[in-house]
Amino acid sequence: MKIEFTPEQAALRTELRAYFEQLMTPELQDEVDATPGEGGGPLFWQAMKKLGQDGWIGVGWPKELGGRGMSDIEQMIFVDEVMRAGFPFPFLTTEAVGPVLAQHASERMKSELVPKILSGKLIIAIGYSEPAAGTDLASLTTTATLEGDEWVIKGQKIFTSLAQHADYIWLAARTNPDPDIKKHKGISIFLVPTNAEGYDCTPIHTLGDVTTNATYYDSVRVPADHLVGELDKGWRLVTGQLNRERMSLVNCGPVSQLLNNTIQWAMDNKLPNGDRVIDQPWVQINLAKVRSGIEVLKLMTYKSAWKASNPVEGEDPMTAAASEMADASAAKTYGTEFFVEAYRLLAEILGQASTLHLDSKGSELRGRLEMLYRTASIITFGGGANEIQRDIIAAAGLWMPRAQR
Amino acid sequence: MDFSFSDEQRDVQNLAQAILNDKATPERQDALEKQGERYDAQLWAQLAESGLLGVALEAKYGGMNFGFTELCLLIEEVGRTTAPVPVVPVLVSSVLPIQRFGTDEQKQRLLPGVASGELLLTAALMESCNENPATPALTNARAQGQGYVLNGSKLCVPFADKAQRILLSAQTDTGVGVFLLDPQASGVSLAPLKVTSQEPQFELLLNNVMVEAKDVIDTGAKGASIMQWLAERTSTAYCAMQTGVSDKSMRMTASYTGERQQFDVPIATFQAVGHRAADCYIDVECQRLVTQQAISLLDNEREATTEVEIAKIWTGDCGHRVSFAAQHLHGGVGIDKDYPLWRYCVWSRHIEMILGSSASTLALLGGRIAAGRAFAN
Ligand SMILES: Cc1cc2nc3c(=O)[nH]c(=O)nc-3n(C[C@H](O)[C@H](O)[C@H](O)COP(=O)(O)OP(=O)(O)OC[C@H]3O[C@@H](n4cnc5c(N)ncnc54)[C@H](O)[C@@H]3O)c2cc1C
Repeated sequence: MKIEFTPEQAALRTELRAYFEQLMTPELQDEVDATPGEGGGPLFWQAMKKLGQDGWIGVGWPKELGGRGMSDIEQMIFVDEVMRAGFPFPFLTTEAVGPVLAQHASERMKSELVPKILSGKLIIAIGYSEPAAGTDLASLTTTATLEGDEWVIKGQKIFTSLAQHADYIWLAARTNPDPDIKKHKGISIFLVPTNAEGYDCTPIHTLGDVTTNATYYDSVRVPADHLVGELDKGWRLVTGQLNRERMSLVNCGPVSQLLNNTIQWAMDNKLPNGDRVIDQPWVQINLAKVRSGIEVLKLMTYKSAWKASNPVEGEDPMTAAASEMADASAAKTYGTEFFVEAYRLLAEILGQASTLHLDSKGSELRGRLEMLYRTASIITFGGGANEIQRDIIAAAGLWMPRAQR
Repeated sequence: MDFSFSDEQRDVQNLAQAILNDKATPERQDALEKQGERYDAQLWAQLAESGLLGVALEAKYGGMNFGFTELCLLIEEVGRTTAPVPVVPVLVSSVLPIQRFGTDEQKQRLLPGVASGELLLTAALMESCNENPATPALTNARAQGQGYVLNGSKLCVPFADKAQRILLSAQTDTGVGVFLLDPQASGVSLAPLKVTSQEPQFELLLNNVMVEAKDVIDTGAKGASIMQWLAERTSTAYCAMQTGVSDKSMRMTASYTGERQQFDVPIATFQAVGHRAADCYIDVECQRLVTQQAISLLDNEREATTEVEIAKIWTGDCGHRVSFAAQHLHGGVGIDKDYPLWRYCVWSRHIEMILGSSASTLALLGGRIAAGRAFAN
């Protein structure tokens, strides 16, 4: 047991921190601030191209697939630093969908899409959720049927984020309508080009200024080889990356940066009596609460990364999988609920200034806390509602019997 | 980053588990409590015989020559069984600083006896309204001849009546002195206290007590840093104990609710019950991680004040929440003294309040943040 970064890991952090500080020019920062959580502007694409050239896309992909083959800990360091810098890196495309696509898509799709992903020229949106299929995703009703050598897709998706910038939708559709099989057994994954006939996309404006989309599939036809992986076996592709996704959702980089900025702000600003804001006991308590919460998050994410490349020798695979699942769910639940709490504790320090929008006169810390109040609610129900995570923890972590559903 | 345990560490853990599960049964603890003293001398002797009391002692004092990590694995198992043995007062608060800062004569005189189980040591870390042993306020020491004369008082001193020496700090002319007090010396009086955890504890009153030169560890130059060194290790050791206490009470709760039926189903199948238990799982995981980090840093003699404070904050919060969740989900059985859960609950409170609560530790951490010493890097 040695719970500290090795000299090499520490060096990688330093290298990446410097790299991303340079990448995030004030102009890029302005562009990113104007489109929260999204990217998609000209400077964003320019930065993506540079990242691709410098080999910083696909860091976790195996070398055979064109990636850097970084260890899980190194990848976590990478994610930490990108997110700390505030660059809207398209992790879903590059780290979640990308490697699955590189492994399971047809040869033609692979050779067309993988180089584009790795060079930072392609974003893929995820089309899972539907108006009537949210938490209970397996009940989705969008269908794909084979007609000749084409799949015909009919249905509607909701909250298809980034679809407005994407070339493809990574779509889950029902391919086996047999009512007698379990509902998650008849689902397949397709790559749907956003320029296909019958496809449509309309924006959904959210409280947090994040624009997401409703996407429509009115008998959209795609070639047979747009099916990814095996027919009816798409559920595994949907859930295969979930543990990792849950972990990257609760990365501690951004909140660490926000805490540090708030500490600095409270040191730099004075009260009427001449004391610094940070001299007030309650401010110190709020900061300490956030600080001690962050420490856990850091350890949770690094431990899960460490575990991924250091399986316990001789451990029963079922037990190992259960504990990995429980830990990912614990991290997701803890992290998302901590974020909501942390944003409040930090906003209290800014007081009413935390209600001033980025674009407003008088805003502080680039309006981050103002915006986070409006975006934070997504995380506790998105990425698998926290109730589902707690169900998983009780069953997989504590072996408690669960209710029939 | 390495979260694994070595083979030797697993061996220590397994050995401790085997002995404690066998000897520190609820029946045995019940019998001792009924006799009026929560101390298992037989078990202590057995731990000595197995070598575990010397787990972090150098071989020349009869120890196994392992470090703080291995010692904390033993302590976690003591927490997991609520075994009535003074592992932290003896093996951490007094043995570690003596081994690190004591004179050769002190080490030769005291440490082999601890390893063999023949003698106990303890430390007096608390004064009334003062939980920081690095800044003693109610105890002072005046040089006289070769030795020192001590006056003052300490509160909540564990096993003071059985200890050969009590390590304590006192104000001196030049700073903070660290002394090894003989509780049999003239001018010492011990008043027994009655505490939640039932640990034998005493108020210690010092009235012109002479401490000989050979029992002085430091007279003031380094005393405060020695006390800080041992306080951080003591806090962290109690955090390790809490991991065992909370983990076990959570697992007892999971299996009890899986069996207990109401409304014709196991109560675990109510989502509200499952979720309260899941929250315990999250708390225990959080507490375990920050504790392991603190242990690892201290074992490598890194500066770890921030990390120890964070571990102590989590320990108090997690201990409290898991204790009440476990009792709540057990219903009446949880507080029946024939069922062992209550011991875990009282030990959670014991650990929570030692060397600073979550709230007072948060204030310390906040102070460090304001001084620019605890950014989240
Ligand atoms: C900004 C944004 C971006 C998104 N991006 C994408 C995207 O790119 N691609 C995509 O496919 N989807 C996306 N989503 C959708 C997201 O995944 C869903 O919102 C999520 O799955 C929850 O589904 P729902 O909103 O229909 O809520 P519901 O499923 O209706 O759930 C509402 C609440 O009901 C409760 N609940 C539900 N089931 C249970 C249960 N079993 N036990 C206890 N309580 C329960 C929970 O409290 C839950 O929060 C996005 C959503 C938002 C808001």
